[in-house]
Amino acid sequence: MEKLKNIGIGDIVRIISHDREFTGLLMPRPFSGDPDIIVIKLESGYNVGLKFDSIELIESSEAKELPKHKHEKSKKGDISILGCGGTIASRIEYKTGAVYPSITPQELRTVFPALEKWPIHSRQIFSLFSEDMNATHWRMLADEIEKEVKNGARGVVVMHGTDTMAYTSAAVSFMLQDLPVPVVFVGSQRSSDRPSSENETNLLNSVFSATKNVGEVMVCMHSSTNDDYCHLHRGTRVRKMHTSRRDAFRSIGTSPLFAVDYRTERFDPLSEYKPRSKKLISKKTMNDNVALIYTHPNIKPELISKLDSYDGIVLVGTGLGHVPANPFDDKTVSSIYKPVQELIQSGIPVVMTSQCISGRICMRVYATGRMLMQAGVIGDGADWTPESAYVKLCWAVGQTKDMKKIEELMMTNIAGEITDRSTLEES
Amino acid sequence: MKIGLELHQRLDTNKLFCNCSSKLDDEEPNLTLVRRLHPVFSELGEIDEASRIEYTKRKVFEYQVFRNNNCLVETDEEPPHPLNLEALKTVLNIALQLHASPVDEVHIMRKMVIDGSNTSGFQRTAIIALDGHLDTPKGLVRISTMALEEESAGIVSASSSKTTYRLDRLGIPLIEITTAPDIKDADHLKEVAEKLGMILRATGKVARGLGTVRQDVNISTGGGARVEIKGAQDLKTLPLLVETEQKRQLELVKILAELRQRKAIPIKKHAKDVTDIFKKTEAKLIKNSLDSGAFVLAQKLQNHAGILGKQIQKGKRYGTELSDYAKLAGVKGIIHSDESLSKYGISESEEKALREGLHAKEEDAFVLIVAPKEQANKAMDHVIFRANMDFVPEETRRANPDGTTNFMRPLPGRARLYPETDIPPVPVTKEFLSSIEKTESLDEKQHKLEKMLNKEMANKIIRSRHLHLFERIVETGADPMLVATTIENTIISLRREGVEFKDLEEPLLELFEEYAKGTFVKAAIPDVLKFMAKGARVEAILKVYRLQKITSKDLEKLVIQNSYDMKTVMQKYRLQVDPQEVAEIIKKKRHSEYV
Repeated sequence: MEKLKNIGIGDIVRIISHDREFTGLLMPRPFSGDPDIIVIKLESGYNVGLKFDSIELIESSEAKELPKHKHEKSKKGDISILGCGGTIASRIEYKTGAVYPSITPQELRTVFPALEKWPIHSRQIFSLFSEDMNATHWRMLADEIEKEVKNGARGVVVMHGTDTMAYTSAAVSFMLQDLPVPVVFVGSQRSSDRPSSENETNLLNSVFSATKNVGEVMVCMHSSTNDDYCHLHRGTRVRKMHTSRRDAFRSIGTSPLFAVDYRTERFDPLSEYKPRSKKLISKKTMNDNVALIYTHPNIKPELISKLDSYDGIVLVGTGLGHVPANPFDDKTVSSIYKPVQELIQSGIPVVMTSQCISGRICMRVYATGRMLMQAGVIGDGADWTPESAYVKLCWAVGQTKDMKKIEELMMTNIAGEITDRSTLEES
Repeated sequence: MKIGLELHQRLDTNKLFCNCSSKLDDEEPNLTLVRRLHPVFSELGEIDEASRIEYTKRKVFEYQVFRNNNCLVETDEEPPHPLNLEALKTVLNIALQLHASPVDEVHIMRKMVIDGSNTSGFQRTAIIALDGHLDTPKGLVRISTMALEEESAGIVSASSSKTTYRLDRLGIPLIEITTAPDIKDADHLKEVAEKLGMILRATGKVARGLGTVRQDVNISTGGGARVEIKGAQDLKTLPLLVETEQKRQLELVKILAELRQRKAIPIKKHAKDVTDIFKKTEAKLIKNSLDSGAFVLAQKLQNHAGILGKQIQKGKRYGTELSDYAKLAGVKGIIHSDESLSKYGISESEEKALREGLHAKEEDAFVLIVAPKEQANKAMDHVIFRANMDFVPEETRRANPDGTTNFMRPLPGRARLYPETDIPPVPVTKEFLSSIEKTESLDEKQHKLEKMLNKEMANKIIRSRHLHLFERIVETGADPMLVATTIENTIISLRREGVEFKDLEEPLLELFEEYAKGTFVKAAIPDVLKFMAKGARVEAILKVYRLQKITSKDLEKLVIQNSYDMKTVMQKYRLQVDPQEVAEIIKKKRHSEYV
């Protein structure tokens, strides 16, 4: 790359390539490839990758400063929009190759003109792909939401990547209980650099929903492949059920809480919900030393016994809540029952969930389940999702070290993660 | 005048970014989706003007989904799959024939188009090769770029608030060949388009049939502007389009000169609500709209009297240019003072009241827009925006069958092209280039055809869109001349009689396969084809319509019955006997008599 000295991204260059001359804007290479190829943007706007024999600078680009937005003071009664990253509102500057979150109120209103309708203020807390987020970020976010509530926000909207949004929404559901305002998580499956991104519909519906008389943590995403209305899902019951579709987010085992369409001001409850409460209960301590283990045929007992340094374990078992336990003492079976029992005996809570995703854990039905219950595996009767149970265990072992209390906390419904009825139409 | 050509031709492969079939059959849609689009910032931080205007329409898009031709990719519910390498190879093969230089790395771009014709809001497109040329009798025509792009969705219907598209054709690979503005005149344009079409068809890798090829024309005139005309259906209309556009730009330049002289621009917006004037109107169009809640907005165009009525294309006046811009806001059009207002039923007293209300003098013109308030205001903004243009605007225009054009959108700028971040660039290595199957060039093909056919027929076949079919049938061993005359003469005269084939390929392959078995004679071909067009199989046709060839003993009997008279036999059994065989039998008889 000797030839590229003193020439930078965004400069206008002339190159000789294959005995022909080309002039264009030097572009960054978002994907690495053959280092002898450079990418230039031709006058027509097309980018092409060319090998080159020589390159000369025609015009140096002036470093373009990012427009500075004046700080807008937050007012009581605003909808507060908090940014965690994700592609719902971001902008790529290829000149420098950087991704800028569009998060100031002005930027948001430029991108989504319909936001004019509501008083908003907004703030970026961090900018991460959601798969990079962990319990530290859950805590940071919960702190910020609490601050917003105390400062008189009318509602809180959290812009978040979709991959782990359901973990974060569950975490906030346990950390901040009896909410005096709606906390609405929102993301988009199509990135914001596409005109077809559903970010507009999702964000505006979430802001509209944040004005309502609801005291729940919710996730606002498309209800179907159409750009018409959104569903608001309870933060502990929601799950991303498709890698790419707009309607990937589904309520598991229950109806969504609301159908919402800001265009027609529709806000229809679809199941029971909590209205805004008077006083926020804040229990934000989390313990991130918890493992989530997907069991499978051929699972090795050693894998389980090596988990003894954790403070809690969630198993994603099969069917009604099973793992290989060999109740018939068959010589051909490799069981993980013993290491599970040993973990519990050593004071590590073990919680059962199911790979079926939908449905209730019923360990009392078959011999395997009964053995696991006898060993002290927690979860019989719970219809939680594996992710919700995982986050709840992180929270429960953060609240207490007492095994009995942990079991009690786990089996008590805190934020809708356990329901007491499975109605037929929803299962 | 400078003329450039942009030729789009569908390729005969699966879709460009998924594995759906590109073969379209007229099935019913199995699903309908509703979507909306909004503009986004480009990598350079700009929003394209064409996109911005489209967004102000705030339309809803309805998409018809087809089971065989669509998956989550076309419905914008799954990231695109990697680029179809077969399509890439096809374009590279053509690029080498046009002496173009392939890029070393293909970068797929998103061309922002938010009129809904792409579910994603952009068309994926990539330059594959640069800097080629085409030899023509009138000189060298440079090929600036050769691109590979995806076909857009087909429009089904449109209203001011909703457009319906069918997605079956979305994503079919297109080769786009863009020439430099080296084309000399209208006839030359036709020649260039024809020759490029022949080169493409000669590869045998492009789709055949109606709608698989489209030509866009770029025209700029001295004093005028660059205008892109889209959607010319066939080569015949190209010369007419060029002439009409040249005239339009010339007339616009004249009008501009007059407007400047009259100091008629700029115009400030001071549109007035004149609904009250039309409270008791007899003008049906206005009355009906007012009943449904519309209102009437009027704007004076100072010193414009007579200008709006100036004809600039056949049947289209300067007023049409303003009206086309107003339509961007979804209104049906405008009414202006250079039209006969009585045609709308507007009375003289209403016109007088209008002029008074607008303080419009004799030398002034005015424009009326009848629509809901917000929409009318937007439409008037567009009218004034256009009226204030002190130049011939760069535009994309839609070709009409009569050679005239209508404004579609401003010519898109480079802010419209963003990198496609979902697909990594594709390297074009030496190894990859050498793996491309090189097809015969046009010259080689011409030479080969002249050997099998006479020169006239060879010329016809090489221009035919059925060239590939001809080659396939000849490969099976059929007589080239018979195949050529069947394709170029028989089928065409049958069409004149109203016999239409939806697809020629299958019937013709079957016809010549059966013919090779000797079950019918040449003279029966038109009749057999007539019944095949209705879907019948050759075997059944021969039986039912008694078209089987009569041979050997039966033929001999027949010749004897008709007293060895060639003429009588042929008159009676033309469709069933081979004249040569009849002659043979007669000759044998005479020979025996002689002996």
